Parts: sequence; structure tokens; C-alpha cells
Amino acid sequence: MITIVDYGLGNIKAFVNVYKRLNIPIRIARESIDLKNATHIILPGVGAFDYAMAKLNASGMREELEKQVIINKIPILGVCVGMQILGKSSEEGNSVGLGWIDGEVKRLDTKLIPYKTKLPHMGWNTVSISKGSELFYNIINNSRFYFLHSYYFYCRNNEDIVNTTKYGIDFASAILHENIYGVQFHPEKSHSNGIGLLQNFARL
Amino acid sequence: MLYPRIIPCLLVHNRGLVKTVKFKSPKYVGDPINAVKIFNEKEVDELIVLDIDASINKSEPDYKLIENLAAECRMPLCYGGGIKTVEQAVRIFSLGVEKIAISSLIVENLSIVKEIAKMVGTQSIVVVLDAKKSIKGDKYEVYIHNGSVATGIDPVCLVGELENQGIGEIVINSIDNDGTMNGYDMDLIEKVRNAISIPLTVLGGAGTLDDIGQLIRKYGIIGAAAGSLFVFKGKFRAVLINYPTQSEKEALMDKYFKNSLSTMEN
Amino acid sequence: MNKSVSYKVCTNCVMDTSDPGIKFDENGICDHCHDFEEIVRPNWHTDERGKKELGAIINKIKAEGQGKDYDCILGISGGVDSSYMLHLAINEFGLRPLVFHVDGGWNSELAVHNINVLVDKLKVDLFTEVINWEEMRDFQLAFFKSGVPHIDIPQDHAFIATLYNFADKYKIKYILNGGNISTECVQYPLMYYYYGTDMLQINDIRKRFCTNKMETYPFSSIYRHKIYLSYIRGVKVVKPLNYIPYKKEEAMQTLEKEYGWKPYPQKHFESRFTRFFEGYWLPERFGFDPRRVQYSSLILTGQMTRDEALEKLTKPAYDPETINDEVNYIATKLGITTEELQQYFNMPKKYYWDYKNQQNMFRIGARVLNLIGEEKVRKRNQ
Repeated sequence: MITIVDYGLGNIKAFVNVYKRLNIPIRIARESIDLKNATHIILPGVGAFDYAMAKLNASGMREELEKQVIINKIPILGVCVGMQILGKSSEEGNSVGLGWIDGEVKRLDTKLIPYKTKLPHMGWNTVSISKGSELFYNIINNSRFYFLHSYYFYCRNNEDIVNTTKYGIDFASAILHENIYGVQFHPEKSHSNGIGLLQNFARL
Repeated sequence: MLYPRIIPCLLVHNRGLVKTVKFKSPKYVGDPINAVKIFNEKEVDELIVLDIDASINKSEPDYKLIENLAAECRMPLCYGGGIKTVEQAVRIFSLGVEKIAISSLIVENLSIVKEIAKMVGTQSIVVVLDAKKSIKGDKYEVYIHNGSVATGIDPVCLVGELENQGIGEIVINSIDNDGTMNGYDMDLIEKVRNAISIPLTVLGGAGTLDDIGQLIRKYGIIGAAAGSLFVFKGKFRAVLINYPTQSEKEALMDKYFKNSLSTMEN
Repeated sequence: MNKSVSYKVCTNCVMDTSDPGIKFDENGICDHCHDFEEIVRPNWHTDERGKKELGAIINKIKAEGQGKDYDCILGISGGVDSSYMLHLAINEFGLRPLVFHVDGGWNSELAVHNINVLVDKLKVDLFTEVINWEEMRDFQLAFFKSGVPHIDIPQDHAFIATLYNFADKYKIKYILNGGNISTECVQYPLMYYYYGTDMLQINDIRKRFCTNKMETYPFSSIYRHKIYLSYIRGVKVVKPLNYIPYKKEEAMQTLEKEYGWKPYPQKHFESRFTRFFEGYWLPERFGFDPRRVQYSSLILTGQMTRDEALEKLTKPAYDPETINDEVNYIATKLGITTEELQQYFNMPKKYYWDYKNQQNMFRIGARVLNLIGEEKVRKRNQ
């Protein structure tokens, strides 16, 4: 069963609503035991890196999560800050990330952005195929998704970059390492493209 | 390439949707849930829903309605109206809402706003300022409680202060232009845009897609919100929800946004 | 209901014994088919004669409408009939219709899109009547509580009343009605589709089950519109689609090409509630599938084969993928739980005769109208 980790961050209800409409059962994990029979895991997130790591560490689910992801190789999808904490660290704060994908989180370089508001990167932007993946099956290249963030995931290995988006620089908007997926945008709030992606994730 | 957001704004009054003109004469426009469902099916960029009674009545947010609206949104939803406590804010977020809009609380008790921000992050808090030109016409003044109480505060000064306090987004709403469909108050927008770097969304007066286009050409990335434009049709203001289709949006961006970049890079 | 009648389906169309009044001849052909061949078809002219008749009517409309803002009135739902009629009215007939839409709170995005594209391209002035949702909700809920099949009367009645209100207000003498023999020659059984203007019935159900005072909901009466407005004020109903070779597929293609109009999976899907009513409530609770009526009409007018219809009827009238969502939405909008909705689904069935009604008056009225040649098809009674 698809399981979404409720560690206090992110729009859990939005994900639940999407899967409900798709007639795909979804469970909300609030403690370790809820993760036991997960076939797919979603790690949502909004807000700051440090806060997210603190909440995850305090949730009591980290160990079980690690077991499911690293040992049992259950597919996991990190969303927004949930993607960022897959890395080792962030310029935004001091915490140590999960370190499951080799990379750090950096602040978006705003030098090339001509608008008065440079950050956060907020709104609908295009996601371009780099390597591509089954996560984007049936989603046209350069489809738009909703972004809201000021930091991005810098991949140490280019093979981990699935898709990119341009905002000042070209940054990785979707990453993948083995069974670990990360998307910087909010699929739960990206209309049909997002619904398609979440459906694809469920079918992995 | 990031596109500017085009955002319908809906007002809730006595559980129904209304449209006002200069914040007066609410005209009944229909059921909020079905309207939101239609906007969702039209794949709007974002949606703002404001309860215009709650602050005045000092009532609790209508949580059932909020939950039902959020359930229909596959795009970010911003909900506002009478939010006064951290508990209310947290509960609203738990119902599936992305952003909350705060208005009178900014003036009445800024510290609570900061507490909410600590819990959910500044990106989730939008401050909506309703502004009216002062009688002399040289400055603007912030009003609260659905345009009924004048605060004596200059919005241009206030937004700067709010940016310093860590607010994530400002919506500036022109009371004078509300519902008139004669264009945005570009003077107000210019003043506010120059005062802050945080995300800005403007509301009040948009009558055509061209008005939105002009805004985008001038400012590039900005939130273009509208009420009447997306809810009325034709000279008799027949209630009919509308919103640019994907191709209409692309055409709009081609015409107004893509050449805004070149003017800005100079 | 005559339970001893075994199941039978017409050998010519697809009407079956779920229509309680159906009769079959020795070849298994039903009376709907007979009515069509014997009464309707001989009087249905879509060739030169029809064109001439229509032309004469149009000239009359234009003459009477001279000097007025509008020469006729037309209600649009976003569906194919009213959309195509508007297209013809402007492009072919050169009329100046007052175009209105009734918003009962259940518009689908398709409906709204279709109305938009037509109004934009044809540059007509649109009026909408938005029914107060709290009132409509209570009214619809009352019909669920009453147990009768015709739960769509609140929407139907609002449309009829609004139509006549506008005609009255703007002193319009001609109503353009998109009703047509081509896709609607077979009648719905009265048992399931009761008259939307029987105020005796409506008031009885209101009295027993409504809680809202209904202060703004537009009520009308059959007296008002068939007698006062029709005979005293001289308001006439014209069905232009009956004078031309109207073919649904072609009409939809024209609309798509000209306006970017989007087609519906089934008739009446402009309203989410009507879709639920026809696709789920009637078939599942009452065992009557409105598609049989719709397909039979198309079979009789050569737009669908009986085999095609039978094939479509093997699948449910609702979409199994989305039905849960749809039911949830209906319950949410009505302000009840899905359990409560389920209770209404399971409650004992009631029909129009279980409540006060003026059905006799309607029957007499229909006979009068028939005698004076106003109605081309016998009104179908129990």
C-alpha cells in the first residue's frame, strides 16, 4: 500500500485526495508500525531543511524508514523539502540530511533572474527531460508543475538527475538513485501532470 | 521558463459566493464548492478564497466548507478570512490548504502571525492588504474588516515592514478598483512593487486579459489576481466562470511575458 | 407496477418493460415505434416543406421583434441541442435572441466552457439566472426525502420559470426551444419523469420535506405559462430543429470545428446532478435507464443501429471508475453524508401519485393541445 509519512510537514490531505480520486488506497504513517507493509513511500515537505530533519528525527519513524528504503529498497518519493532532505546537508541550515542521494542543497543563484522578486521560485515552471524515468511516463516533455522553494538539490552524480528546470540556472527538478526518487515541485498541486506522476509512482 | 501566476479570487459571504464593487453591494454569484470545482477543472494556476464576513462577525472559520473546497483543488489554494489564532491556522492547513491569507491580524496582532510563520514557514502565509486612495488622492490607506475600518496606515510603508518581519507574500487589493473591471490600479502597484522584493500579487480592477497582459509586460513575474473577470461575462455581467485555456495562456505569455524579459534585462 | 409481466424488449428499438406503459404488437414492436411511424413521421418535414415553414416562422419572429431589443429568447445549457440552435439562430436565421443560462449550482466545466465559446464567437449578450444554492440544495434534498424518481424537478422547474420570466420581462413573443424529434421522439415514461410544473406536487413535497423558505427561487405554474403567457400574451414556442435535417453527430462536429465546443459522453451531462440522476439514481434505484429512451429515438431516426444501442446498454449508465467520487460530490454538495444518501437510495420507492398532484389537469390539457394540433406526440401517461 502507498504510505505517506506524516511527520508534521507537507500537505498530507492533498496527496490523500489525489489517490482517493484515483481509487488507489493510501495509508498515512504516523508511527513506525505504519510503515511496515508499505509498497511505496511518499515523503512530503514544506518549509525549512533543518526543521524538516528535526521533525523527522523526532517522529520515531526514521529508523523504520531507513530500513524500508535502504535495505528493502521500497520506492520512495521525496517531495519539495522531502526531496532536499534526501541529501547530505543544506546551505539553508546546519542539520545533517538523510544522505541517501549524494549531493547537497544549495541556494538558487539569483544573478540571472531579472525580476524584482527573485526568491522563492514560485509558480508553474517547465520540467525538461534529462535522463527521464518511468515516473514521467505519459507526461510530455516541458510539462509544467508547481514550484515553491528557494533552495535546490545539487547532485554530485549526474546520473542521478532525471529532469531539470530553469530558474536562473538549470537545476535538478527530479532526481533518482536506485529506488529513491525526489521531485522539487509539488505533484499534489500540479493538476493533471501531477496526478499522472503520482499515478505512475503508485504503479512502479 | 517560469510563468507569472494568474489567480482567480473568490469571496464568500453567508456561505455563498459574491462579487462586490468597491467592496459594496455584494451580488450573489453561486455555490462556492461547484465554482472551485470548475476552476480546478480549468486547471487554474492558484486560487484565493476569502471569507469577507468572518473578521467582522468574529466567527470561527467555516472548517467544513474549507475542507470541501480544498478537496476540489489540485492546485495551491489560499484561504483567508477571520484567522486570529495559531490553532485556527494550523487546523486550516491540516484540511489541505496551502496558504492562509491574513489581513486584519497584521494590524491587530502581528506577533501571532509570526508564531504561525514559525510553525508552518513564511511561504505559507500571505498578507492581504485592502487599500484605498486617501481623500487627498496622494497616498493610500489600509482598511481592514472588509473595507469598513480605516487604519491610517500607508500600505507602501507597511509592506516594507512586513518584509522585514519575514512575511512570505503580499496581495495588494485596490478597494477603489474592486469590481469596476476598468483595469488595475497601476499607481498603487508601482508604489508597492518598488517597496518590496518578496512575492507580490495584485487584485482589484482587472477587466480583460489584456489588463493582466499589461501587468505582466511591466513586471514580469507577479501574481495577477482577479475576481469579476473570471466570474462575469458580457455587458450584463452574466455569471459564467471563465479562465484562459492552455493555448490562450500561451498566447498571452507570448504576447506580454516573453518580451517583458528583454525590457527587464536592459 | 405489474410484476407479473415478464421482461421484454422491443424488436425495433430498445425500449423495454421498464417503461410501465409499453405495449407490443404481434411482431414485438412497441407502441413508441408505432407512434413515431404513424403520428410523428408523417407530420415531420425537414425537406423543402420544412424549410419553407421555418422560413415563414422566422420572418414572423423578425417582424414582431422589430424595434425591440430581442426578437426571441433561447436558453442554453452548453449541450448540443441548445448550442446548435444558437449557432443556427445567429448564423442562418439572422435572429436576435436573448440568450440565457440557468445556473442551478451543478454546472460541469464542459457546460461552462461550451457556453463561453459560443457567446464569445457569436457575440451575443448573455443573461444568467443563478439560483440561490442554499434554496436549491434544500429543494433537491426534499425530493430525495420524498422517495420519488423525479429528483431533477428543482433544476427543470427553475429553467422553465426563468424562461417565462425573461419572456415576460422583455416582452418576447417567441421562445426558441432546442427540443427535437430527431433525438427525442421517444417519450420518457411519466412515472419517472413527472411534470416539472405541477405546483400541487411541488408544494406538497415542499411542505413535507423543505426547511428553507425559498424566497428567491423562481416558481411558476402550468397555468401561468401554458395559459396566461401562451394564450393571453401570445407567447409561442418554436422548435427550429424539427424543420431541418438535424443530425446529432454532424451538429457536434460543426460546433467543435467552429467554436472549439467540447462534446459530452452522454446526453444531459452539462449538469453534474442530471448526470447522477440519469446515470445512477434512475437506473440503479428505480431500474429505469434513460439511455433506452435516448437511443431508441436515435434508432428511429436512423442515427444509431439497434445493435450499437444494445452494445452500449451492456455497460452501466455511470462510469464505474468515477462513480464513487460522483456520489461523494453529490452528498458533499447536499450537505449530507454518503450514508444518508445511501439511506435515500434504499428507502421504499414512492411515485408522483403518492403525493398531491394535478396529473389529471395535465392530461386534459395535453388532450386539448393535441386536438388543436399543438403537440406532435401523444403525452405519455401511466
